[in-house]
Amino acid sequence: MKAPLSWIREFVDVEASAEEIGAMMGLRGLPLESLEPHGDDVVMDFEVTANRPDCMSIRGIAREIATAYQLPLATAKAVALQTNGKLPITIEEPELCTRYVGAVATVTVGPSPKWMQDRLTMCGVRPISNIVDITNYVMLELGQPMHAFDLDKMRQGKIIVRRAKRGETMTTLDGKKRTLTEDMLVIADAGKAEDIGGVMGGAASEITSATTRVAFEAANFTSSHIRSTSKKLGLKTEASSRFERGADRTAPPVAMARAIQLLEEIGAGTFTGDATDIYPRPYQPKTMRLDRARITGLLGMEVPDNEVEKILKSLGFEIAQAPSPTSQAPAAWEIVAPPWRVDMHRMVDLIEEVGRHYGYEHLPATFPGVEQAPPPSDPRIARDRRARTALLAMGFSESITLAFIEAKAAEPFLNGNAPVTIANPLSELFAVMRPSLLPGIIDALSHNRRHGRADVRLFEIGTRFSPNGETRGAGFAWTGLASLDHWSGARRPADFFDVKGVIEQLAAAYQVTPSFADVSALYLVAGRAASLVVNGQAIGTFGQLVPEIAEARQWPRVDEVYVGEIDLDALSAASRAETLRAAALPRYPSVVRDVSILVNDSLSAETVRGTIRSAAQPSRDASARQALELIDIREFDRYQGKGIPDGKVSLSFRLTFQSPERTLTDDEVQAAMQQIITALTRDLEAVQR
Amino acid sequence: MSEQNEISRIEAAREKFRAALAEVRTSSEFQELRNSWLGRKSGRIAEYTSLLKTAAPELKKELGRAINELRSIVETAIAEREKEFGASARPKNAVDITLPGRAPQLGHRHPLSLVRDEVMEIFTRLGYQVLEGPEIEDDYHNFEALNMPGDHPARDMHDTLYLETPIAPAKAGALQPSRPLTLLRTHTSAMQIRHMENNPPPVRLVAIGPVYRKDDLDLTHTPMFHQVEGLVVGTGITLADLKGTVSAMARELFGSAEVRFRPSFFPYTEPSAEVDIRCFKCAGAGCALCKKSGWIEILGSGMVHPAVFEAVGYNPDEVTGFAFGMGVERVAQLKWGVGDIRLFYENDLRFLEQFGI
Repeated sequence: MKAPLSWIREFVDVEASAEEIGAMMGLRGLPLESLEPHGDDVVMDFEVTANRPDCMSIRGIAREIATAYQLPLATAKAVALQTNGKLPITIEEPELCTRYVGAVATVTVGPSPKWMQDRLTMCGVRPISNIVDITNYVMLELGQPMHAFDLDKMRQGKIIVRRAKRGETMTTLDGKKRTLTEDMLVIADAGKAEDIGGVMGGAASEITSATTRVAFEAANFTSSHIRSTSKKLGLKTEASSRFERGADRTAPPVAMARAIQLLEEIGAGTFTGDATDIYPRPYQPKTMRLDRARITGLLGMEVPDNEVEKILKSLGFEIAQAPSPTSQAPAAWEIVAPPWRVDMHRMVDLIEEVGRHYGYEHLPATFPGVEQAPPPSDPRIARDRRARTALLAMGFSESITLAFIEAKAAEPFLNGNAPVTIANPLSELFAVMRPSLLPGIIDALSHNRRHGRADVRLFEIGTRFSPNGETRGAGFAWTGLASLDHWSGARRPADFFDVKGVIEQLAAAYQVTPSFADVSALYLVAGRAASLVVNGQAIGTFGQLVPEIAEARQWPRVDEVYVGEIDLDALSAASRAETLRAAALPRYPSVVRDVSILVNDSLSAETVRGTIRSAAQPSRDASARQALELIDIREFDRYQGKGIPDGKVSLSFRLTFQSPERTLTDDEVQAAMQQIITALTRDLEAVQR
Repeated sequence: MSEQNEISRIEAAREKFRAALAEVRTSSEFQELRNSWLGRKSGRIAEYTSLLKTAAPELKKELGRAINELRSIVETAIAEREKEFGASARPKNAVDITLPGRAPQLGHRHPLSLVRDEVMEIFTRLGYQVLEGPEIEDDYHNFEALNMPGDHPARDMHDTLYLETPIAPAKAGALQPSRPLTLLRTHTSAMQIRHMENNPPPVRLVAIGPVYRKDDLDLTHTPMFHQVEGLVVGTGITLADLKGTVSAMARELFGSAEVRFRPSFFPYTEPSAEVDIRCFKCAGAGCALCKKSGWIEILGSGMVHPAVFEAVGYNPDEVTGFAFGMGVERVAQLKWGVGDIRLFYENDLRFLEQFGI
């Protein structure tokens, strides 16, 4: 709300400068947004919160300043208008229009005086003509929106407040033809709608240079109704923004009197004496209780009684009853709220008034005592931290991407689900909620690539969305070199086994034993895709990103990108961390043996490992073997090429044996090795090398 | 006569050399010392030798003797210490320790994640529980229960993003009671309601996580950002307690404990206040960071509105509480002087790598 300081000073004799007033009011709940000098005046632009329509007026702002500086507020410039009921006004919808004051004047339309035009301009309102300017001037001064009809254009000279008819159209003052709906309120004459009540007037009954008779309107419209009409029409005006927050029902006759006073003062016309006030829903003053103890109880500071009363009175509240010094009942005031304070509902509202004007600078800084041990925090916090720590340690930097993405970027990741679509997205770039963390990470890769970084490891821990709700995941991408360029070593690009290693380590971080399965996913290259399986359930997917998908996100298709994503909800549910018992360290040394074999290259590593494992532990009751355990199998070499027949592969395994009972003898280990080689030869047609 | 002086100067130089040699601790200092005495062009001995050319013939001999004596002393001493400091002292398998190390790669934390952790740590230490909560919400928890019924003007401040198709609450595994999930939460305050519905007072929590608003991406806005929400409910909780709590947090986060409250309006708190901290950069003198005001706005707060308590079944005559909400991005921007909020969402490694782990 823009307010010229000279206008404010008509209501409160404040000596402080505009800057000082701004600083003071910021601490009293009416912050200054900007100051702009205007000739020898200065325009103060105050930020008025949604609950204070009364401060959308010079007088309302002056009242706050008067209270802050403990100065008197000038009395109103005009008293309520006397009406004779001769202007025919009908209100058909008293719930939507609770009061309508109309008054007739004969006028000579022309420009308004310079001082009035200046003030309107300073407040951001365009001067139009003396009659229209008067209505705007009163609105700015008192907060009561007004309107003026060319009475000779009103059929039968009647004013009817009714709902619009279905399909009724009207051209508003902004020149737009609008189709109205039955839930909108209009001010009509005997035939047509002439004004969208409380929002904007109509062009047909607009004041023109030819106008000689005017009907001024000062009415009260229900806030929720104005709000919905304004929203439906996409039309926000000075009037609607005041009514939708709630206007003072006692203000219309006062505003009307002020308008007529101005009309005659500037010589723009004369009041005919015909005026009507239809007031079907009279304002009921609100009486509120204010407990002295609750002030201290809520604010944590004591406010002396005389301060409480001084502040409230200055703001226009009436003290109907002060705390009785003799009564046994808790000390309390009976307070009557002024009609313009539509935000007063409860005792806390009064306490805020007292608190803010007494000054929060008087608040002590205390600390609430702890009454009980706090319940545990969201378990996801500690859980996510584990994945974050592991990924950071593996060289991945943490990213945070926007959770909405382009619809086509989401498509390959939907996994058969419908996308979670935003009904009113900012743009197509933010159309759906991400079903996976990967699209966002892929875009981040491309961003880095565009800025000269080709070797990138990024991860994100966050929420994924599907029609089944939200899940928490960890996604990551790896592209470029597997390790930083170094003078000592060869360059090696990251590959499938790098991301598999990441997945294995993530599983290890949660003490989960992983297994892996082939998977087909739209976004992963066939044959280079796998899922992480825990307890028979696939809880993660990883592999090489389909080049076309990367390319669609401005990534060069020739550069391989490896990605992975794990469901952290499922991973932590499978974690043994909660039930972990530390195993005693082995008391006897382990024995290591290597074996190299030649097998068909179509055999999976898992098949060979399985054969070795079951051969090492042939039966549970073979007492000789019981003591011997194969505790580790490691593929340490895999070779195809020179010296190896086509279709074959040379595999080397390092096997570690141990006994919990004693030191193993050479013979025992040798026997076990023989058993393993026999099984490999028999079952897999392996040839020992 | 001058040559006579030179002779005594050369004799005195012996002591100077011995003293300097005694000071030598490293191989580079040793090399330096050797060069400054035995250097072929600018070494001191070379300098003395050049005097011979111009010396008076009767003194040449004596001068030459003094120089030779000094040279022999220096050379012997240098040779003696050569083993200790010289290049030939390098062990055969020595490495060039100035070559870059083979560093295992270490990732970098996202600054928002760092702030989030710091805030969680502060409040955990102050006895709060930390909650996260759903990001897709129903209208009731995001607005209605927070004293913002359907046509409330304050809803304008939260430009809300809605889902095309609501999600059934049962599917989302939401807490009870719950309605169809229709929107992206516009603030973490929705989590307050969910918690109070399911837990009796006292309450002492911070809720933290992403929130969504229909704001265009620019220097100061992103349609998704992160919030920290604090809520304390109990008997006798006051606005002064809020002041103490916020001061404690500000001291930890910014090293500035002086706060001021400016009255404001939020539908879910009454009284409401915006909180400024004393500018930690200029200590209040006025600088670019605080736009010359000496104060920096960090959060919105207030005393929980009785209507909110009624919505969750708490008795507003028995309990009071305070709540505050703070932007994580804003804290990170202030802490590290990040001018453009979009940097947090670009995930540019040149940005991320400025932060630790």
